[in-house]
Amino acid sequence: MQHTSRRDAPLASGVGLRLPHLAEVAATRPAAAWFEVHPENFLANPHAAELLGEIARHYPISVHTVGVSIGSAGGIDRAHLARVARLIDAVDPILVSGHLAWSTHAGEYLNDLLPLPYDANTLAVLARHVDEVQQALGRTYLVENPSSYLGFAGSTMTEFAFLSTLVERTGCQLLCDVSNVYLSGHNMGFDPYAYIAGLPAEAIGELHLGGFTAEDDPDEHGGTLLVDTHADRIADPAWDLYGYALHRFGAKPTLIEWDNEIPPFATLLAEAAHADAVSAQALKLVPEKSVPAFRSAHATTDRQVRHAAAG
Amino acid sequence: MLPLAEVQSHVRDALVAGDTARVMPLLVGGRAPHKRLAVHQRHYQASLVSALLTRFPATAWLMGDETIGAAAHAYVRAHPPAAPCIAEFGATFPDFIAAAPGAAQVPYLRDFAVLEWHLGHAAVAVEYAAMALQSLAGYPQDALADLVLRLQPGMYYFAVGWPVDDLIRLHLEDRAPERYGMEPAEIWLEIRGARGAFQMTRRDAGSYLFRRALQAGQPIGAAAEAAIDADAAFDPGRALAAVMREGLVTAVETNAAGVER
Repeated sequence: MQHTSRRDAPLASGVGLRLPHLAEVAATRPAAAWFEVHPENFLANPHAAELLGEIARHYPISVHTVGVSIGSAGGIDRAHLARVARLIDAVDPILVSGHLAWSTHAGEYLNDLLPLPYDANTLAVLARHVDEVQQALGRTYLVENPSSYLGFAGSTMTEFAFLSTLVERTGCQLLCDVSNVYLSGHNMGFDPYAYIAGLPAEAIGELHLGGFTAEDDPDEHGGTLLVDTHADRIADPAWDLYGYALHRFGAKPTLIEWDNEIPPFATLLAEAAHADAVSAQALKLVPEKSVPAFRSAHATTDRQVRHAAAG
Repeated sequence: MLPLAEVQSHVRDALVAGDTARVMPLLVGGRAPHKRLAVHQRHYQASLVSALLTRFPATAWLMGDETIGAAAHAYVRAHPPAAPCIAEFGATFPDFIAAAPGAAQVPYLRDFAVLEWHLGHAAVAVEYAAMALQSLAGYPQDALADLVLRLQPGMYYFAVGWPVDDLIRLHLEDRAPERYGMEPAEIWLEIRGARGAFQMTRRDAGSYLFRRALQAGQPIGAAAEAAIDADAAFDPGRALAAVMREGLVTAVETNAAGVER
């Protein structure tokens, strides 16, 4: 599956473009490398879609679907997919992505990215749906690893093994959300560095970084549960893991996500600039650096995670 | 492992209905998986309630935060979204709150909420270049009645039994008094919006029916007949000229025989 954009994805970091910043970006054309949008924010908002069309004439755009629900056992919502396809035709994105998750069941949309059991049956469903999406959109689809709070006792494979097999079966690529890997590792008790090491480097097409929120919970590991709120700056341990991800995958388009308690646009640009600085440093040091070296850049105690997530 | 569809049905029941009995034995995560599941339950409720309150801020002012909050929580349990565009979620919320206990004390609540829903959609519409009246001169006189016109997309026509436009205008202009009396009245409203702005205009019954019929895709002749049925003095020529003059028409779609110009 070839993606058919006229433009290649820049390696400089981009930012998620949300509705509160749309008019400002269209009017002032800030120095951003590229933008990522959720198509679901534009499909029922013709004014926003019009502004997006204007912005797409000046910036590379990535389309990150949140409602396609490739994990739904009941199948893809084809009417929604057709609407997404029309928007993609209009903005000619550099990348098109979605989530290893489900959100639709029996005609109801549950407005969340919900967990899947990782087994052969689920893999067959996902492979069928990724094929369908790629056929419908005429583009390679990038599948993003989820932020996890729960798993299924019946899972028979790790998440990274599941994603690797999905790549083999469908030719899709992967969007590695580094913050999600860190958060899920903390919540589910796995080593996020081992997870990154287990992903197929050649399939990684994009990286995400987003802020999470630490909730106090005495029942949980270290007394905290990390919640993927996208409502804060990126925490130091996620930056460390990002350095290691670059070491593993090489330079990749990286996106700063911030979806709640959205700050001034300049704050997003500053986070993107920081990602570029981390990237430059990590790629420069790659040959000498080992996993422990990245890991030690910040001591990732739970106390510090809580501190970092609280800003 | 259960079939995936069954697993997802159980997760759905936990999120929407709070019924966790069948899904909990399937889940792992931390020392207390039910607390992890609560993250998803909370997100389902909070994100959709927030979406509703964002769509109906004037209705929230009218009902009070506590009352509309309770109604919104009940609504998201009873009527999950049917599609992933959350901006489209809540079309039936006005009917839902109007049927809620206590709503009879505010008999215009449904009309008020429907008006707010339409205003929200009008404000995110776009407008296209309007056709000039002279462009209809290219059609033979006897073919005009068969033409189907395409109106600006941000037009909404809404007949109400209460003057809710006055009340919502007072609220939007931050001039709402502490107490406000309202008497029933037949109001025919035209809402026109685009790019963040909208306007509400009261029409007489004939003009309202004519314009609403045009917007629904009826030919000019059929729209005029609908208006004349309600108002024998309705003047189709003047009404059509007004529609064109106000820039409401963007294109002639087809004539009644389906032949594009």
